[in-house]
Amino acid sequence: MMTGWMGKIVKIDLGSRKQETVAVSDETRRRYLGGRGLGVRLYCDLCLSTTDPLAAENALIFMTGPLTGTVMTSGRYQVVSRSPLTGTIFDSSSGGHFGAALKGAGIDGLIVQGRAETPVYLSLHDGQVEVRDASAFWGLDTQQTQKGIQAETSSKTAVACIGPAGENRIIFAAIMNDKDRAAGRGGMGAIMGSKNLKAIAAGGSRPVAVSDPEGYKTLTARLERIVDKNPVTGKSLQVLGTSVLVNIINAHGMFPTENFRRGVFNDAEGTSGEKIAETLLLRQSACYKCPIGCGRTTKTRDKNGEGPEYETVWAFGAHLGISDLTAITEANYACNELGLDTITMGSTLGCAMELSETGSWKESLRWGEAGKLMDWVTDTAYRRGIGAELALGSKRLAAKYGRPELAMQVKGMEIPAYDPRGAQGMALSYATSNRGGCHMRAYIIAPEILGHPVFLDRFSTVGKAELVALFQDISAVVDSTVLCRFLQFAVGISTFTEMLRTVTGLDFSDEELLKIGRRIYTLERQFNNRAGFGRADDTLPPRFFNEEFETGSSRHRRVRLDEMLDDYYASRGWDRNGVPLPQTLADLGL
Amino acid sequence: MRLRLRTAAIEISGDDLTIMTLLSLAEEKTGRTFLDELLDKDKGLLTGTIILVNGENIRLGQGLQTRVKAGDSVALFSPAGGG
Repeated sequence: MMTGWMGKIVKIDLGSRKQETVAVSDETRRRYLGGRGLGVRLYCDLCLSTTDPLAAENALIFMTGPLTGTVMTSGRYQVVSRSPLTGTIFDSSSGGHFGAALKGAGIDGLIVQGRAETPVYLSLHDGQVEVRDASAFWGLDTQQTQKGIQAETSSKTAVACIGPAGENRIIFAAIMNDKDRAAGRGGMGAIMGSKNLKAIAAGGSRPVAVSDPEGYKTLTARLERIVDKNPVTGKSLQVLGTSVLVNIINAHGMFPTENFRRGVFNDAEGTSGEKIAETLLLRQSACYKCPIGCGRTTKTRDKNGEGPEYETVWAFGAHLGISDLTAITEANYACNELGLDTITMGSTLGCAMELSETGSWKESLRWGEAGKLMDWVTDTAYRRGIGAELALGSKRLAAKYGRPELAMQVKGMEIPAYDPRGAQGMALSYATSNRGGCHMRAYIIAPEILGHPVFLDRFSTVGKAELVALFQDISAVVDSTVLCRFLQFAVGISTFTEMLRTVTGLDFSDEELLKIGRRIYTLERQFNNRAGFGRADDTLPPRFFNEEFETGSSRHRRVRLDEMLDDYYASRGWDRNGVPLPQTLADLGL
Repeated sequence: MRLRLRTAAIEISGDDLTIMTLLSLAEEKTGRTFLDELLDKDKGLLTGTIILVNGENIRLGQGLQTRVKAGDSVALFSPAGGG
């Protein structure tokens, strides 16, 4: 009997309605695990690096991992495809309960190709996939959609869906699940919209079998003690959520302000985790089987919802010169309802403000205009008025108005809330991310700023190349198990090895896991090379090489990517253009 | 710590003090224990504790023996994480 995995992946063509079970060998499962890894492997087997992300033949893959539905934090899932925002291979991660619900419905993953003639949703139960009419839900926001689908199925149905942004194929539209959890980045919601796929609904309570039930009980008890005692997972994330980082990053002079022109925001405190706790917080919230509970259930005067998280507090706050926490929070709620990535939305607004200020764009968007935030967000989801331009994302918008250098993006996706001039390793992490401007591929902020697991000098480039590669590989593994990355503040790779052994019964080792991570990262890189990405794209916007802050504790610094990039390629076994060498591919079985 | 101490800033009079001394004085002044948020039972820095003197992390200097002078700004953060 298979343990961990359910042993079923279903592929469906929404045009022909034809379904098939996808055979995955034991070897492939062992080499890619699940989630991101297996999703990327299957995508590369089905589609080309030139496949149009919004064409019917593009595949959209929802994938769980062998640990989904078992240990703590195991409610997550990954969505894999080629991104309409970046054109790279892309996986978007989301929390909540939906991943566990997919397993409860009897499947490890779902592959969707084709385009339905009219809006549909997929209902998953007992290993079966049923296509249902979604016309009644088309046009509704994500909260209304979830309620509607639950009304016609069961109140216990887990729903992942798109809102108007995905229906309108906005290239940074999100997929929302469990009301407020987002597979936010990269435009996976637009792909769903392009297929007339409104939602996936998962019901059922099939248990996930565990190989060593006694070992699992002991491991669970031990993990609970470790996570509880750890000051990050057991305290700071519980009390302040991710916005605990606002004051920290600002104190390091690298809290990107007004489109990364400054590193210190004068009113960071007013948008901090502490401020949220004092003014808006109703209670903390947690995902499936999660003892950390970093989520924030909040309430403004007129509305309530989840969030905002650190990235959103930044994207709608300091990045735009806005210090109105209520406006930031309500824009966050709107993004959840409309199904929009808050980071790209906010970053695009910052780019637009600088385009406007410099006279490059005739529209007038000013720093600090909190009162217009909601209109800009809503108009973007509906491609209305100025929203039709904002829907381009920062890279295309800036290029359209002749100022490509004002888009703070890598490979088409906007850089998040850590200025790379404040952390050289983070600069390399952004530049070499396989999915564009992403802080999670290699969260080097952990050692460079937060001091986890050890403290490193953030302004040094020594050793950062190997470390970024290692973090990228470990992250690929965790994304393939699929567990929450916040567990890594409390446990190391050996614990993930132990969890996999206990659940699957397979004799994984730390070395094997690191090799799996390296294999996944290299496969993604191969795809991107074929899609036309190379050394020239492993870079950052000119601002980070040419401009320095005058104040703050990251003042007078520039990114020194040239000191790290060649070492990074060498450590990965890639040539000087960032192409994996034949021996590297052979070693990884690619 | 801000929520626990109900203040975002504490002023300490003195000159040429070590960080360790400064922390002890700050705890005295607030009348609330908070060093357990920053230090382990052996009075060393917890993994993840961030102490900045004028924006520079004390781990790059002399750690808890780093000396501060009048006019210096010291930022204290207990271990944190996020994404």
